Amino acid sequence: MSSATSLYLDPSIRDWVLFPISLVMILVGVLRHYVLLLLQNKPKPQTRPQIREQRALTRSQLLRATAAQSPIAPPFYLTISQNLKQAFTDGVYLKDGPPAPKKVTKGGAESDEPEFPQPPSLFSDPSQMDNMMGQFKTQTVVMIPQMVIMGWVNFFFSGFVAIKLPFPLTLGFKPMMQRGISTPDMDTRWVSSLSWYFLNFFGLNGVYRLLLGNEDTGVDMQQMTGMPNMAAATPAVPQDYNKLFKQEKENLEFDEGFYKWIGEDVEDRVLRKYGKLPSV
Amino acid sequence: MSPSTSLEQLATFKAQNPRASQEFLDKASPLLKDLKNTKVNDDVWPVIEQLAMAALDVGRLDIAKTAWKALADRIGQESPRVILLQGLIMEASEPLDLALRYYEAEAQKHSHNPAFWKRQVAVLRQMGKVEEATNELKSLLDTFYSDLEGWLELADLYSSCCHYSLAQQALSHALLLAPQNSFTFLQFAETAFTAGDMPLALKNFLIVIDMNDSDVPAPQDQSPTGISVRAWWGVKLCARRLLYPPAGGVNDSASKTAIPKNLKMIDQLATERVLTAYSGERGIHNRDVVSRWMSKE
Repeated sequence: MSSATSLYLDPSIRDWVLFPISLVMILVGVLRHYVLLLLQNKPKPQTRPQIREQRALTRSQLLRATAAQSPIAPPFYLTISQNLKQAFTDGVYLKDGPPAPKKVTKGGAESDEPEFPQPPSLFSDPSQMDNMMGQFKTQTVVMIPQMVIMGWVNFFFSGFVAIKLPFPLTLGFKPMMQRGISTPDMDTRWVSSLSWYFLNFFGLNGVYRLLLGNEDTGVDMQQMTGMPNMAAATPAVPQDYNKLFKQEKENLEFDEGFYKWIGEDVEDRVLRKYGKLPSV
Repeated sequence: MSPSTSLEQLATFKAQNPRASQEFLDKASPLLKDLKNTKVNDDVWPVIEQLAMAALDVGRLDIAKTAWKALADRIGQESPRVILLQGLIMEASEPLDLALRYYEAEAQKHSHNPAFWKRQVAVLRQMGKVEEATNELKSLLDTFYSDLEGWLELADLYSSCCHYSLAQQALSHALLLAPQNSFTFLQFAETAFTAGDMPLALKNFLIVIDMNDSDVPAPQDQSPTGISVRAWWGVKLCARRLLYPPAGGVNDSASKTAIPKNLKMIDQLATERVLTAYSGERGIHNRDVVSRWMSKE
């Protein structure tokens, strides 16, 4: 441990390496926040057919939610249920309208089966492409400055010992704290400049939140780590509503079996409550 | 009074939703003067919006316009709520077709926000174009199914044209959306009664009673109040019509609802309950009339 005590850091290292790295990183982070705000285009408002398609399922879900104790009388329930089933089969709620029945197939045989739109793929929909472009732009804005700073630190300050931590650490932290310095006997408390950069890189999120307020900084942890995780970057896969509607139709049929109107024996319940009928 | 407590007090108006526009106006209009000189906190803006609406309700266009100006300066003219407020002012001050065109244009722009579309329907109804209003409202509800207000309005529109079975259908959607609201059941029962579907009306009146009594331990010892009185009257009316059908009239139910077996008992119970309702201090004056009506079978 003699090396640990015999090492002295020039104060100008603190002034000209340690502080500049931290300061530049904070400033770049703030700048990135505003650039991201500029880049974020507002999501396009949905059109009415899209909303209609999205919310069509709530109709049957609402109907089914109360099926076992339904507030509406049998004819009303059955009408709604059957209309919904028919609409789901015909694809009335699809945003492009119900599909036209196919007239003549290749073999010349008539087919009554209407052609439903193919399940949407991620790349076919132009609005999805816009989304992915947005994601890509954000990734770029996050990644490029980080790479530039890292190159800058690596070029000018490689091999610098920047700071001594005020607490001891085990040897396991050596690769994390002393990146860029290959001195096997040095105490783990000494932190190299490149490691200081990485510590800042991972740890400044809280500082940004303090500086920029608690709003969405546009830089979540996923992006901070700089790993373009494909699972997170992928926008929500577009739903195949046609398929969902078909499933919901079966649910509706199923719940017709459970249906019971609360008015069915309400007179007995009221009479019993008022003591006119013996309670069960 | 400190500004924060007064703001809180004014916010209760929104929560309790009484239509006390003049009172609100008197209490809230001093806020409008303070807006410029001091730095106000952000809680004040919803109150200013409310103030503008209250001002429109009592016809104080000047206050409404000042409030709108303040909101537009602070929040920006792009905010849907500010746009909507401008539309409301337009409804009050300009010819209705101008407001209608304004709402139509805004509804196209903000297709995900049903507020403009709803105002469009409301303006159409004000202009007396009931058919157009109904059609617009139908397509609105086709898109935004879960709009409870919309279904109730549609039922009202249908009732105003005597389409009672369509009104019942609209109300049944409202019931699905808010099955906990006994007032909707009452409205459904009354619509069914008007449509001549006695058994269905009877059942729904009984549902109202069942719902209202559900948390009362011994309902027979208490006098019915509020909406229950109306429901008991409904039960009595339906039961009497079913027991003694008017000459030439047929009691067929469009909804094929079965007539309850214990109809006599229900009739007796309803008579009892209605008379109990008129036995208290407040109802005693009308008791004679009620008992005379009851004995006249």
